Amino acid sequence: MATDSSSSVSDHVVSRGTVEDPIFEITDTSVTYDGETRVLEDVNVSIDRHEILGIVGESGSGKSMFASALLDAIPDPGVLTGDIRYHPPDGPPVDLLGLTDEELRQFRWEEVSMVFQGAMSSFNPTMKIGAHFEETLKAHDKRVSEGLEFARELLENLYLEPERVLDSYPHELSGGMQQRALIALSMVLDPEVLVMDEPTAALDLLMQRSILTLLDRLQRKYDLTIVFITHDLPLVASLADRMAIIYAFQFAEIGPRDEIIGNAAHPYTRALLNATPNVDAPLDEMQPIEGEGPAPVSVPSGCRFEPRCPLATEECRTTDPPLAAVDRDRTTHRSACHHPATAREEIQLNFDEANDELESASPVEPSEPAVETRAEQTSETPLLSLDDVAVHFTEEQGLTERFTKDPTVVRAVDGVSLDIHEQDLVCLLGESGCGKTTLGKTLIGLQRPTDGSIEYRGQDIWEAKDGDGEIPYDEIRSALQIIHQDPGSALNPNRRIADILSESLRHTHPNIGRNERRRRMHSLLERIGMAPAEEFLDRYPHQLSGGEKQRVALARALLMNPDAILADEAISAVDVSLRIEIMDLMLELQSEFETSFLFVSHDLSNARYFAEHGDGRIAVMYLGEIVEIGSAERLIHDPRHPYTEVLRWATPDLELDSMGAGDPPLREVDVPDPIDPPSGCRFHTRCPVAREACREQHPDLRRIDDGDGRVACFREDPNHEYWDSEPVDGAVEQPEEFTGN
Amino acid sequence: MSTEPDSAAEGIDWRSESSNVEMSRRDQLSELYEQKIRVPAVVAWSDDRTRLGILILSVYLFMALVDVLGLWRDPSPNQADRFLRPFENMQYPLGTTNSGVDLLALIIDSTPFILLMVLAGGVWATTLAVAVGTLSGYKGGTVDTVITTISDFFMAIPGLPLVIVLAIALSPENPILLGVVLTINYWAGLGRSIRSQVLSIREASYVEASRTMGTSTPRIIIKDVLPNIMPYVMVNFVLAARYTIFAAVGLYFIGVLPYSGQNWGVTLSNAYYQGGLFSMQALHWLLVPIIAIVGLAFGLILLSQGMDRIFNPRVRTRLTGESESVTEDTDASTTEMI
Repeated sequence: MATDSSSSVSDHVVSRGTVEDPIFEITDTSVTYDGETRVLEDVNVSIDRHEILGIVGESGSGKSMFASALLDAIPDPGVLTGDIRYHPPDGPPVDLLGLTDEELRQFRWEEVSMVFQGAMSSFNPTMKIGAHFEETLKAHDKRVSEGLEFARELLENLYLEPERVLDSYPHELSGGMQQRALIALSMVLDPEVLVMDEPTAALDLLMQRSILTLLDRLQRKYDLTIVFITHDLPLVASLADRMAIIYAFQFAEIGPRDEIIGNAAHPYTRALLNATPNVDAPLDEMQPIEGEGPAPVSVPSGCRFEPRCPLATEECRTTDPPLAAVDRDRTTHRSACHHPATAREEIQLNFDEANDELESASPVEPSEPAVETRAEQTSETPLLSLDDVAVHFTEEQGLTERFTKDPTVVRAVDGVSLDIHEQDLVCLLGESGCGKTTLGKTLIGLQRPTDGSIEYRGQDIWEAKDGDGEIPYDEIRSALQIIHQDPGSALNPNRRIADILSESLRHTHPNIGRNERRRRMHSLLERIGMAPAEEFLDRYPHQLSGGEKQRVALARALLMNPDAILADEAISAVDVSLRIEIMDLMLELQSEFETSFLFVSHDLSNARYFAEHGDGRIAVMYLGEIVEIGSAERLIHDPRHPYTEVLRWATPDLELDSMGAGDPPLREVDVPDPIDPPSGCRFHTRCPVAREACREQHPDLRRIDDGDGRVACFREDPNHEYWDSEPVDGAVEQPEEFTGN
Repeated sequence: MSTEPDSAAEGIDWRSESSNVEMSRRDQLSELYEQKIRVPAVVAWSDDRTRLGILILSVYLFMALVDVLGLWRDPSPNQADRFLRPFENMQYPLGTTNSGVDLLALIIDSTPFILLMVLAGGVWATTLAVAVGTLSGYKGGTVDTVITTISDFFMAIPGLPLVIVLAIALSPENPILLGVVLTINYWAGLGRSIRSQVLSIREASYVEASRTMGTSTPRIIIKDVLPNIMPYVMVNFVLAARYTIFAAVGLYFIGVLPYSGQNWGVTLSNAYYQGGLFSMQALHWLLVPIIAIVGLAFGLILLSQGMDRIFNPRVRTRLTGESESVTEDTDASTTEMI
């Protein structure tokens, strides 16, 4: 490249030299609001042609601003300054900031196109998907018929049925399908660069990983350059060639993927790697990062990470480190830190050691009978007992439909039996839409089952509600509590924390005075780490951070003195570093309060942390059924159900060897419609090892012979006719052979 | 628990058995004053438009007080010269009518009547709408279907003819009854929109949490649902009140409503039929009641602007000098976090 000639001396020039054939050169680029608030500062980065650059940053770190800057689409009244040069495959470089409005309009989508987070809000709900494609083609003066042909090809590559998708309205597709259709739409004009801003954040893990593998394939097929922006470091690590870490509106570190993961030089990157819940890392070494990122108005004068950095020196306090090459001979890896060597020495990466420990800890541990005893062999009455419970939702019908059509029934939960004991801990794990929340709500008596029974200490909850039970319903009601997913809507915005917590005390201690009530709340808040409690009590929910709100929700549930608490994805909306803290807190309080926990999650690593620390079980759900249940350890190291294996695959980890390893062990990306679930084993449509027998027969949960727990798969029964029947289309003999189609 | 909280020194931990230390009555009252009176007052007063609205309404309240205490003369014919212009004779500052009635006395005399009627209309329409809307929204099911059908029926009846028929049948001279008659079917539409607001709040996690705790339905409605629809309800209360004045004045003007004495609407009607529109001499006769009506409506509307703020906890904490809303900018971060 011509620019290489001007190399050496200043850092950013060196940096540009590191990329052989840049498609984007970004020099001294800043975004300013009101003339002083800088939300992106002096960024110097080049993006290589045909690479996948993963950009990781916390919320509010300016990563979305960077995405908008690449399209010169900063929302008003932001001002973009600096120099952004785009090199088309042929022809002279384009100065992005010098384009006219019309040129910009053509540039966007035709050269560089963008995929946003919420597919639901990116499509017009009153237009069919096909019409969106046509509009885009017309707006850019392309031939519609040719364009649609290409669109069909793209959709097919994304595992969608082109005709069906183009002819549907957005609401008729699932979230994952919408997001993939959106990716196809953004590629319909065959752009050179795809900028993706959190494109999968709203989807569950399995779908995220599936989309990522598809992206990887598309990138190779159409020679794309992809800029993938996310908050999820392990997710993008499996896809990216190079990675960049943004902290406080500047790049903290940039380099090849393997360097960043295995040999990061910035303390922030290393801390971030250590704070990521990880299936392989030893549990006790996950560490939160103290504090939070600075706001644009109060950026520290020296190194931006200095206030949170454990290694900060005087130099860090005064001088802002430039983004410079870490080692003299390797200019591809750059980091903005004065002491990269110290950082590497002082902050150990916890997943490095993980492998050794794994070796030593052989898959099936002798410790497993302990779980077995508590979970399966106790003879006393369980705290909660589900017996063949089904929850079916009937869609509401109009007057005429009532006579002409059968009602549409969504089978959210089907034939589930589960016992929860005193001080038990069960994690419900599954994709979105598998019925795990419905099952959780049924367990704590919020959802009436359409079939089967749910008993609390031997008393049918719904009989008690109807007035004929030995245990009064009020008692059952207060014994089963809930913590919601979204801390934002879990607390009434119009009431102070004191009022919110008093509500629980009104039930448990109806006759106490205000002072005593306050003292109780005070002591509990201090216990859960909200100090000074006196101040928190007088606040409104909007004055608390997400983590603090979730603690209040936990406190509210605990003040009821419950026997069981349902934590419905209770930590997925919370900061990664806080997640571990809150999970620890819940576990500690579990023993103090002698309560059981039901933990609903779609993330195996979180469920594993919870189940392993609390000595509990994980129940894997698929399409309304429990397909496997057992201790976390057995489930992670020795999954028996093919679906558990899929979930294991979908959980990102930071091991370099296994990264980017292949396709999902699935034959279909999408979950079948729960209105009309497949016959036989419900997983057979996607199972890599399905055989004809799976189509017809429905497997029951059976005890695993050489391990704890139960699994619903014919493969566990050596004498089943499964072994004699033919594999279905696309399936293989052994799961190891499966590489996708 | 390694860290003993300070207050635990007094022997009460969050799990202790209950003791019976009653909160003193004085404390309760002072907290009530702080929460229900001082804070809303501060918030309301902080907004210029609300402040102006309050001032305008105070003028009307003052006029009502003047009439009740008998501080101004009653209107009667020939108490002054005919067609005095405003400020011509400072004894009759707003001038007189064609029969020599003091216009200011006319306006003041009917103020209590109008205010009572407006209040009755607003209270009746909004209370009924809130009751109906929250009940059908929160309960759902059959209750919802029945209530919705009834309110559909009421919405289908043309309002004006209904009111005219009722006015003739009942001849309401009592201001409260009149207010109720005028807004007889106003609740239906309002109830419908309140219902839709309640529907979305009902699904909120905190309502489910309250249900899970076993809180009774009325308490959930009062504590969790109502405060969140209050801004909407208050704005609609003011709109209903405004509707009541306009309806009353309109019906008095076309002579449907029975009247014994004179009031703003009647004055307006008299002025019009005595040619107030065509002669400069009688112009003020027409203008004075119009200004009285418009002023009251304007004051109400300004007040309604501030109602939204009173129920907004963010504004409340900012204005009463409590700890700043530190999390304003981190709000977004609860949804997507690293």
